[in-house]
Amino acid sequence: MKRTMKTMQRLAVAGLLAASTQLSAVAAQAETTVRMWTFLNPEGTSPRELALNQIIENFEAANPEIDVVVEPQVWDQMTPKFLAAHGAGNAPDIIWVVTDLLGEALGSGALADLNPLFLDSWPEEAIKERQDGYWERCAWEGGVHCLFHSRNYYGVIYRKDFLSEAGIDPASLTDWPTFIEAGKKLTIRDDSGNVSRWGFGQQFSEDRADAQMMTSVMLSRQGDLFHEDGRAMWANPIGAEALKLQTEMVTEHEITPPQAVTWSAEDLYEQFAAGRLAMFTGAVVRVSTMQAKVGKENVGFMIWPGVDGKPHSPAVMAGWAVGVWSGSKQIDEAAKFLEYMAGPEADKLWIEVGGQIPASAKNMSEMTDFFAKPENQYIVEAAKGIANYGWISPVKFAVGGYRQALNKAAQNVLSGGMDPMEALEEAEKRFNQQNRR
Amino acid sequence: MKSNTAAFTSVAPAFVLTGFVLFSPVVYAIWFSLHDIRYGAVGPFDGGANYLRLFQDYTLPGTMLRTVIHTGASVVITVAIALAISVGIDRMKPRAAMIAKMIVILPWITSAVVATLLFRWVFINDIGVASYAVGTLVGGEFTPMTNSTGAMGLLIFVSVWKRLGYAVIVLLAGLKSIPNECIEAAHVDGATPWQVFRLVTLPLLKTPMLLVVVVLMLANINTVETPLVLTGGGPNDATRILALEVYERAFAIFDLGSATALALVMFAANIFMVLAYVRLTGWKA
Amino acid sequence: MSARRRAAKVSTQTLVVALVILLVVLNGLPFVWGVLTSLKSEQDLFRFPPAFFDFAPTLDNYHRVAATGFFGNMLTSFIYCVVAVITVVVVGLPAAYAFDRYSFPLRRPLFLLIIASIPLSIGAAALLIPTYIYFVRLGLTNTPYVLPLIYAAHQLPMTIWILKGAVESIPHELDEAAIVDGISRVGLLWRIVLPLSRPALAAASILAFVGTWNEFVAGSVMVDSPQLKPIQPLVYGFIGFFGREWGPLTASATLAMLPILFIFILFGRQFVAGLTKGAVKG
Repeated sequence: MKRTMKTMQRLAVAGLLAASTQLSAVAAQAETTVRMWTFLNPEGTSPRELALNQIIENFEAANPEIDVVVEPQVWDQMTPKFLAAHGAGNAPDIIWVVTDLLGEALGSGALADLNPLFLDSWPEEAIKERQDGYWERCAWEGGVHCLFHSRNYYGVIYRKDFLSEAGIDPASLTDWPTFIEAGKKLTIRDDSGNVSRWGFGQQFSEDRADAQMMTSVMLSRQGDLFHEDGRAMWANPIGAEALKLQTEMVTEHEITPPQAVTWSAEDLYEQFAAGRLAMFTGAVVRVSTMQAKVGKENVGFMIWPGVDGKPHSPAVMAGWAVGVWSGSKQIDEAAKFLEYMAGPEADKLWIEVGGQIPASAKNMSEMTDFFAKPENQYIVEAAKGIANYGWISPVKFAVGGYRQALNKAAQNVLSGGMDPMEALEEAEKRFNQQNRR
Repeated sequence: MKSNTAAFTSVAPAFVLTGFVLFSPVVYAIWFSLHDIRYGAVGPFDGGANYLRLFQDYTLPGTMLRTVIHTGASVVITVAIALAISVGIDRMKPRAAMIAKMIVILPWITSAVVATLLFRWVFINDIGVASYAVGTLVGGEFTPMTNSTGAMGLLIFVSVWKRLGYAVIVLLAGLKSIPNECIEAAHVDGATPWQVFRLVTLPLLKTPMLLVVVVLMLANINTVETPLVLTGGGPNDATRILALEVYERAFAIFDLGSATALALVMFAANIFMVLAYVRLTGWKA
Repeated sequence: MSARRRAAKVSTQTLVVALVILLVVLNGLPFVWGVLTSLKSEQDLFRFPPAFFDFAPTLDNYHRVAATGFFGNMLTSFIYCVVAVITVVVVGLPAAYAFDRYSFPLRRPLFLLIIASIPLSIGAAALLIPTYIYFVRLGLTNTPYVLPLIYAAHQLPMTIWILKGAVESIPHELDEAAIVDGISRVGLLWRIVLPLSRPALAAASILAFVGTWNEFVAGSVMVDSPQLKPIQPLVYGFIGFFGREWGPLTASATLAMLPILFIFILFGRQFVAGLTKGAVKG
């Protein structure tokens, strides 16, 4: 009896001691919490989510005084929500901004200048190797207000096995006539004349609209999609010819299905995964998920064919501009995490674990083994595109809704019976009106 | 005994709650819509500029017309089918009725986005089960969405499909409340089943019908998910309805000023319609 | 029974049977397909021709969903629903009683105001951004009570409408007798009105529960902390920037449906009886 009492007492004392050390440990740490909004959930299991989780763990291990909390958001609401939160004075410390709304975010003053926060202390070569099209978009009023993540580049995703079956070398598809011939070869009809596989998938729905091939033709010939003052530059002979070429894939060459007018970008990926498309307009960030569905060795990526004798045409680049909220109360801690997340060490994780396109050219040249693997060739191809054939939407004026407007023009031609010029005039008029230009 | 104080203290909490959560944001939104909204923040006062821009939009009349068509057709068809189904279920044995009810409510209790996506995948997409089965049995391809009429028809079809469960459940409850004697008496008087239904059952269903029509009307007018996921508003704007227009203005073009203005105009119209409908049916508050 | 009437009856019955069969296909097939999809691996998802049963089922998608803390959020959603339902009943019943039994100035306009707020709750998504700014300014976003508050307000107008119908059908003699006996106002509601309108209360509660459980827009915008998120935004989260993840999407949607089906099985009979006795009486 006595012994039990004593044991109890000892246990109680031990418990109290343990509790007090626990408490003092918490007090001593006095963690600063840094909130970040992104569409990735670090608890999730997709490659990019695993990469982000690893990056946060590494950072917190090295900086025990900082606690990084991710508040996952619905991706299409995230940037408008952030701008509204900034206007109301209560936004997260770190934010991922979608390319289309980057101009709005910069104009609102929501993103802090990163130069004094950490970029000033970076060696000159580290800055230099990053000064590409993306970097230019973050440069604003003498400062640098964001760093790009999840770099994305649009082009043609294709089935390597289907192309080699048909004896087509993807590297040879550098002009549209050759591309169309390949598309015809890749389009398969069954005995009753129904198409069981289409050569070239495109999507013209306004839901999840990506930039289609006509934009690459226009970018090659006129350099931009907008005038200096932000008005659309579509209803001209160049635009009409580009739209005609794009829609003739359905009507004339029959390598794109008529259902394209109702397809969203998502439908293309699903059709491709079902083996119903040999090539399609796609984003390079999606290649790895397609590889998981139809086999690593079977999926490849190429830059758009060129026009007027050039080997390739420019394509739309996009991504997520990550910045620190200018009103953050723990701006230094937030900047510290962003510096790590965008730095060369984390970049390696984004590439290896997350399958992302490198932000640092140095990593690109150092990780030779990784990029030599055939299934990682798509990253090299996209990096080549970003360096030489890229166009990124402007930040001087908002261009939200331009892909939807151009897709609607394609709909108007295909199922509204409009002439391409007429459809583009309509699209231009509506786009300019909607954007008050 | 029935003092005003007692009455007002009984209803006050309800008005505090709805006033705070439902009405005051609308008042804020009205103020918001009268300003120049830049970068998602409230800028200088600019009077009715947002409204003016809205009404200068030459596509708006067409969008309104399509909204009326979509909502009108969806509500009428849903109510008609729901009546037939609830009469059918009403006559079933309890266990069969239970199973039937479960099947009927499935689309209603699934999230709108997931339900629409699944419907599209299974029945419309050419990699879906139904298209595959139809394609193998009959041959040929089923592509209703590539033409304007087909797309609107399909949107109405899916809207009916999604909300039928709610209508059936509420109407079924109404049917259960009709005393059997009424129906039997009518039969004895020599009425045909159709006459019984039209002259006895239907008038006794007035209140559940009111409830169903109001909720269906509002749900269909305000649905963004169904047209966005199903057709994206196309082809050629054939399925662009007002709710989608608000969504696009707010989230694709990021013109929050005119998006809010349009949402407020829609609210005004919705409230007017509901009150008018309640009055028209002679329902007494 | 005349031949004509018998023929009419047969044809009506055939029509009803045909409708029910059509409905079973239209409603059942996507549902079954969704559940099957949730059991498929990446490689089987888009196999063409579609794989109905010849695939190796896996619970991987459910594990992935569980890894994101989905079950914790189901509990959060459940708590939101319960709080919202209790609030609408506690606030709605006295209001419904007053609207039916008391005569007071502005009674009719005030009741029409309740009816007029139904469009505001059903269409609330259209004012998403201004409402969000408004709630941020008040410092209410990302708090544990903001969503139950919003959900209760969304469901309240319809609840009052249904409960008012229930109160209507209670014979006046019952509550008048109790009042003569000197019952308090709370006692009257608790001991007389509540028991007599229990079926309608069940009906209103189930509608409020389903409405709250399936709410998406406010849930995705008004709170940020992962612990405070209700489930619908999490389901939608699998339609990510990098595409629709059909496996976890259908797995989480299936899980999200189960509680509602369960509630309908449990209270389904109550529900029908509830609307019968009260609101939707002809």
